[in-house]
Amino acid sequence: MSVKHYKLVRLLLLIFLGVWLVLIMFPFYFQIITSLKDVAEVNRIEPTFWPEVFVLENYSAIWNEPGNFKSLVDSFIIATCNTILSLFFGTLAGYALARFPRQSGGENVAMWILSNRMFPPVAVLLPMFFLFEELFGTTDTHMALIILYLVFNMPLAVWLMMVFFRDVPRELEEAAYVDGHKPFKVFFTITLPLVGPGMVAVAMLCWIFSWNEYLFANMFIGTDVKTFPVVIPSFTSGSQTLWNLVMAFSLVAMIPPVVLFIILRRYMVRGLSLGVVKG
Amino acid sequence: MAVSTGEGPTRGGTDYTVSAATIRHWQDDELPEWFKKKRGSTRSLIVNRWVPRVMVGVPIAVLLFIVAYPTVQMAYYAFHDINMVSLFKGDYGLIGFTNFERVLTSDRFHGSVIHLIQYLFFGAVLQVVIGTALALILHHCVRNNAARLVILVILVMPMMLPPSIVGVLWRFLFNPSNGAINQALLDIGLIQAHIEWFQIGVSLWTITIADIWEWTSLPFLIVFSGRLGLPPSIYEAARVDGASPFLTLRRITLPMLKEVIAIAFIIRFMDAYKFVDKVYVMTSGGPAQSSELPAYIAYQRGVREFEIGEAAAYAWIIFLFAIILITLFLRYLKRVLRAQAIA
Repeated sequence: MSVKHYKLVRLLLLIFLGVWLVLIMFPFYFQIITSLKDVAEVNRIEPTFWPEVFVLENYSAIWNEPGNFKSLVDSFIIATCNTILSLFFGTLAGYALARFPRQSGGENVAMWILSNRMFPPVAVLLPMFFLFEELFGTTDTHMALIILYLVFNMPLAVWLMMVFFRDVPRELEEAAYVDGHKPFKVFFTITLPLVGPGMVAVAMLCWIFSWNEYLFANMFIGTDVKTFPVVIPSFTSGSQTLWNLVMAFSLVAMIPPVVLFIILRRYMVRGLSLGVVKG
Repeated sequence: MAVSTGEGPTRGGTDYTVSAATIRHWQDDELPEWFKKKRGSTRSLIVNRWVPRVMVGVPIAVLLFIVAYPTVQMAYYAFHDINMVSLFKGDYGLIGFTNFERVLTSDRFHGSVIHLIQYLFFGAVLQVVIGTALALILHHCVRNNAARLVILVILVMPMMLPPSIVGVLWRFLFNPSNGAINQALLDIGLIQAHIEWFQIGVSLWTITIADIWEWTSLPFLIVFSGRLGLPPSIYEAARVDGASPFLTLRRITLPMLKEVIAIAFIIRFMDAYKFVDKVYVMTSGGPAQSSELPAYIAYQRGVREFEIGEAAAYAWIIFLFAIILITLFLRYLKRVLRAQAIA
């Protein structure tokens, strides 16, 4: 292949990348400009690609509906509590699986725990609904979702913490034992600080997944407790949809996962491909 | 632990001999109190064996409660004639495989399987192909680190969004009468009249496009970091040998990334059979059930129409299918992990 030929191919590839970037950006762009339009312009027959008047008040108007802010708070409570629980169980089992594989069941148990992550949630929904109805009298609580989100977050946390604990050299712990420290102290002062960055990454991943979850939330809650993924589609069910407010609110709700992702991108691959591919 | 005797390490090499007296000395003085006390006693054996078991056992118990119990309960429902009315009356009988028969012979199920296959071929496959291409292009053609990072963040961003927002956003963009996409296509001149994006036969494609937009990010990210992990020395060797870029791609890059690409594909494949949220938000399976996928029907039958027996049969069919896929995937994963450990 000649040099000229190669340069042409390279240019074509770059064009493909550029076109794809534009396609990815377009929905974001339209979302942002829609959130800045006024209602009349949004509902025009021919949509405009640049707002005629910028209405920054949209962003304060979304808080007039008290349910909106509350839904973000509810989402935050559920995501945070679930993250703490997943991380606790994940650290517990991850450490055991990494350090004592023979006593804790080893590879097969780890694989079984991981397989729960790929489980179809549809098979869990109905029985859990009736069970919570019986246990608590209602499913419309934070507790229901905090427990249910463990279905997909805990296997991830266990698996990833196991991978991170394996990376910590065993000799460090053994040296500390010989120096006369007790197992608990060794775990908290030596092992845990070393997996700290990994733990933060796992926490952020679990948090994003619970923040975004829609299916369970749609079935289990809706009156007393509402998470924002349930609130946003319900805006659009009426006859006159205030698309500019919908877009403004969804932009606000998108900020946390996007910011976390930008901080986290180095760990993202491990988290999303279940720790298989080295990140 | 090297303990030298005599004059200490010599120039040629360290003397690693440890005298019996030194070992006895360790046992007596340097080992911690608790270690000496528990050593050999039955109590320490019990602790050693049970602490890891409990540490793993608690999460397993939680998983059994929230995953295994509902699955078994679903099997119970699937073999009973149970719906909203009979559930509250409390009289539902055992009907054997009738629910499964009803599901497997219904046109709705057949349609949804065809939709699933269409979605897999044009959704999952395209996502992996485009994602791989983008990752290799980005790695090969963009050398500037800052530019790379910006492009990476933009390309991966869609994946981070809540699925319900993605659904609402795309329903808005695809709005047939005054949506942005129709207008943009008209302005460019690609189409002459508005496309009805949500009519029979088109709506599933519309969902697939939104899905490709969101999830091409995942194969892209996995393949990109896999490519970063390949050793540069191999590429230098290839260049010295005079291999063209195309030959390098075909003979080195793709074979070495084979496992990574396969894993990306399997993950997308396994997400496909639980794919509900965007169908639910964008079309609700309509019009006339033309964009329904099996998991969506299970959800709809159980949650909206309260035909619990049938929903359970759907869920179990999906579940069995999932077990096969998960087992195959995990077996493959074990092999890859083992290969990585050797290499």
